[in-house]
Amino acid sequence: MSLDDDLAAWAATVRLSDTEAAAIFQRIVGAPAPVPAVVPRLDPSWWRHFTADFTARMVASTRPVRQAA
Amino acid sequence: MDREAEFRRLYEAHRQAVHAYFTGRTGDPHSAADLMQEVFLRVWQHLGTLADLPDDGPRAWIFTVARNLSVDAHRHQQTRCGAQQALAREPAGLPQPASAAVIAAERVAVVGEAIRRLPEPQRVTLTMAAVGGMTSAEMAAALGVPAGTVRYRLSLARRAVAEVLHRYDDPAEE
Repeated sequence: MSLDDDLAAWAATVRLSDTEAAAIFQRIVGAPAPVPAVVPRLDPSWWRHFTADFTARMVASTRPVRQAA
Repeated sequence: MDREAEFRRLYEAHRQAVHAYFTGRTGDPHSAADLMQEVFLRVWQHLGTLADLPDDGPRAWIFTVARNLSVDAHRHQQTRCGAQQALAREPAGLPQPASAAVIAAERVAVVGEAIRRLPEPQRVTLTMAAVGGMTSAEMAAALGVPAGTVRYRLSLARRAVAEVLHRYDDPAEE
């Protein structure tokens, strides 16, 4: 008996049977289909609002503070 | 092609190789079946991603998932338990009848034990070749190592198993 024959004989004892493979297949496809993740989208005008807000804050923060009388 | 047909195509193309890979890693075909199911469950859940990959992409994706799962399994020491269970199960699964069958089963057990004792990289390679029927190039792509390394590991593994069988056949020569 050659080494390949011995390995083939051993392989036959550990190889997944068609029946077992079919059962696994059925378990997987029977699982609920994944729901695609919903990624919230930004409002198209977000950048304009963001920069306007940022500019206003920069202007406000760099305005000289009026001294108390 | 509908979703289930596309999944079936991938499942049939890769299931034997993935099962062989996990059998090599864990030493236990039953644990290997559980891990294989985990891999293909992820394939099922990410079918859209796999459909966009080039020719050899799905195999690389599947084996990347398999390797990650295998690392997790090692981390939880499930594999060690699996191998021990496999050893405990092996004799119980053997048929009892004619002596020729008993001798053949004993020889298979000797081969199995010799493979179980191989260093893991050699065990995985030999199992993928013998059980999964994979070529060196396919194993190299799946394992992310050069084909030469795969051939070297395979050669060492085969030699080690052959030596064990030689000692089994001729115990007087020791």
